[in-house]
This record gives sequence, structure tokens and C-alpha cells, in this order.
Amino acid sequence: MPPYDIYVPEDLQDALRYMDDNGETTSIIARGTDLLPRLRRRLISASDLLDISGLEKEMRYIREVDGTIQLGALTTVSDLEGSPLLGRELELIRDAAVKFGAPQIRNVATVGGNLCSATSSEDLIPVFLALDAKVRLSSVKKERVLPLRDFILGKRTIFRKSGEILTEVELPPLPPNSSSAYEKIGRRNSLIIALVNMAAVISMEEDMETVRQARIALNRVAGRVPQRAPSTEASLAGKRLTQDALSNAQAALASELSLTDDFRASGAYRLEIAKIYLGRLLDRCASRLGGG
Amino acid sequence: MSKHFVTMTVNGTEQSLHVDSADTLLNVLRDRLNLKSVKEGCGTGDCGLCSVLLDGRLVNSCLILAAQCRGASVTTLEGLLEDPRVKVLQEKFLKYNAAQCGFCTPAMLVAAKDLLAKNASPTADDIKVGISGVLCRCTGYYPIIQAIEEASEAKVQ
Repeated sequence: MPPYDIYVPEDLQDALRYMDDNGETTSIIARGTDLLPRLRRRLISASDLLDISGLEKEMRYIREVDGTIQLGALTTVSDLEGSPLLGRELELIRDAAVKFGAPQIRNVATVGGNLCSATSSEDLIPVFLALDAKVRLSSVKKERVLPLRDFILGKRTIFRKSGEILTEVELPPLPPNSSSAYEKIGRRNSLIIALVNMAAVISMEEDMETVRQARIALNRVAGRVPQRAPSTEASLAGKRLTQDALSNAQAALASELSLTDDFRASGAYRLEIAKIYLGRLLDRCASRLGGG
Repeated sequence: MSKHFVTMTVNGTEQSLHVDSADTLLNVLRDRLNLKSVKEGCGTGDCGLCSVLLDGRLVNSCLILAAQCRGASVTTLEGLLEDPRVKVLQEKFLKYNAAQCGFCTPAMLVAAKDLLAKNASPTADDIKVGISGVLCRCTGYYPIIQAIEEASEAKVQ
């Protein structure tokens, strides 16, 4: 591995002070499941690492405050899998957690790390985009909270200022009559980078048959970073979940996805899977609503 | 390259070591503590052959920096040899010929032990998920799954 120094902070305040002084030249390491392989393959160099993995007391929690779910940035994917707070309408989180990496990765991979890595391979980004998640960024001087969609700027590009640490992810309450689901396909089931993954959150009107709002996010829409699919969402709003509505939504999806070929799969294949997943996820959302 | 002084408990024994910032837990276990059951396959978290228990969590030791192990408790297969469940797993691995070249076997045993500690009667699918992070390049998964299934059914003390 290329040489680097590690700073091990006493607590979060100490970590923030360190970032205030050295933020420009420092990479933050939590459990390193993304950073270490990239360092080792010399895809990146790091002169300084700030190791926040020891700050679990302050940054590893799942709690509910006034209907908002707060996830500490060091919450692991295994924590998501096992949390009773993330059931019911948030079932897509568990769908994603059980398909994430392998047990060895889920046990250490963190929520904050997944979002900060900001590629189309980060399974939690579509999930949290569909939930209109917000991220809390802390620095010595202040804190700011911004929508995840404004935080992810592009592949491996995030809106984190040099002194900041992502400390928390917030999931605002969903409208009544909501349900959710997630799907992922790769070349095998485990430990794989998704060719396509998709997250859906559907909120129904009082009649439980008309869609009030649909939120659809994919690992790729245009370019190589997860995004929402606004035309697809708009085509579903106000509709009942009929075969016609699905066909229209699939057409909208096809019109807004701009997927290129790469060494993993062709764009045409990804599109075909995305259309199938849209139908599957809407079905599953509907049945989850019915099942309570 | 920074130096770090780390104290951790490895297989029940406290160890204090000076490590470099680039040392992984895998390096320290193999090269400093001579625990050779822990294998390096890929070094990038793909193969799982370096699986150990870190504070009770099954992890890839190649993706853990030694400097991150302050105060940690680490268990490798060497530390599990007296575990009654692991003894049964070893017997069943022998019975089913669940090791061909043997390179993945220590990691398979650690992953199986972790699975059975959490789920005493796993289905075949649960077992597949439990060992999904350990790659066997002899592709001998079927006898491994059989061995774990039978080990879970066996009575242990």
C-alpha cells in the first residue's frame, strides 16, 4: 500500500478539530471496505487518514425522533438488517441490507461510508434517495443538513466541505399509506456490484387504490451515479396501479434512462431489467400495503 | 507512515504491538502472531479467506487496519479449536470431504461457527448466505453445505 499516516481521534470533537486543521489533505476512513481496496490497488493516494471507526459510541445508532429516523453515520448494514425501527413501510431498507455484499462486508460497511463513496455501486444510495433522506454534516463551527440528492454531485463527487464529517442520515416520515421495495441484480447473488438496482416508495390516497406519490430511484439514470427517475414518478401519480399505468411508466422510464454499455453489461440489458423491476417493485409495494 | 501502539486480545491472550499505519489485521495475525489459519486470497475483501471474528463480528481481516484494533478482541480458527461446535464442524467436514485443496477451510469453519452461533438450525439457504462471503475455488460448496447442515443437527454437549 502507498504510505499514509493515520490520526486516531479521542472523540467526535477531536475528529472535527483535526478536520478543521487538516481537512484539505485528509481522507476519512470508517471501516475502509471501499477505501482500502482502492488504496491497495493504488487507484487513490492518501497522505493522511482520519480513522473515525472508534467513534461508534457517538455515531452508531438507529433512533426515532418525532417520526424521523436518525441513523448515525457509523451504523452498519447489519444493524439496518436487524433493526425493528426499520420495518413496515421502510421494508426496502431490509431488502437492500440482505442483498448487500456478504456477511463479512455487511458487518462493517457503514451507512455514511456508502453515501460518501458516491458511485453507482453503492446500494444504499437509491434506497435513501427514494426515502428523501437528508445528511447531516458537522464541522467545528457549525452543522448543516441537506437533502441527499444535493449531496451526491456525481461519481465519487460529494458536496462535503473540507472540515466536515458526515455524522448522520435522517429519514423523514413517509406520507400515510406508504409502502416500499427494493431489487438488485448482479452476476451472482452475493458480494456483487449491481448491474441494476431500484428502490420504490409508493404512497396511496385514502382510497388505497390511487397513487398519490411514487418515488423511484435507480443506481443509474443518466451517467454513473444513482438518481431519481422523475418522469416515471410523474407518470404514476394520480393513477391506479393497472397494467396500462405500468406500461406508461415503463415507457417513461425508457425515455429518461440514458444507459451506456460497459464491461459489466450493455445499456439495453440494463434497461430491460429496469422495466421488469419497475413492475415487480410496484407489485410488491401493492401487496405490502395490503398485508399491512 | 505513522506508528501506532495497539493492545488487543487475540484468542484470549492480550497482545501489545507497535504497528505501521499500513499494516492490516491480516498481516499482524499471520506475520507477527504466527496465526497461519488466516489466509490472504485477494487482499481486497472479495474472497473472505481471511475471515476472523472481531469483537464478535465476522469480518475480512484484510480490510481492517491493525491501527483500528485498539482494545479489540480477535478470534481466529486457532482460538476456536476447543469449541465443541467447531469440533463437530471439523468432523463433518472430514466426513463429507468438504475440503479439497483446504485453502478456504479455516475461513469456512469460522463463517460456519458464526452462522451457527446466530442461527442454531439454519436451512440450506441460510447456510449458503452464511458462507457466501468465503469463496472456494475448488467449487466444493455442496459437501461444505452438507457438513454444516449435519453439524447443526448434531447434539453438542
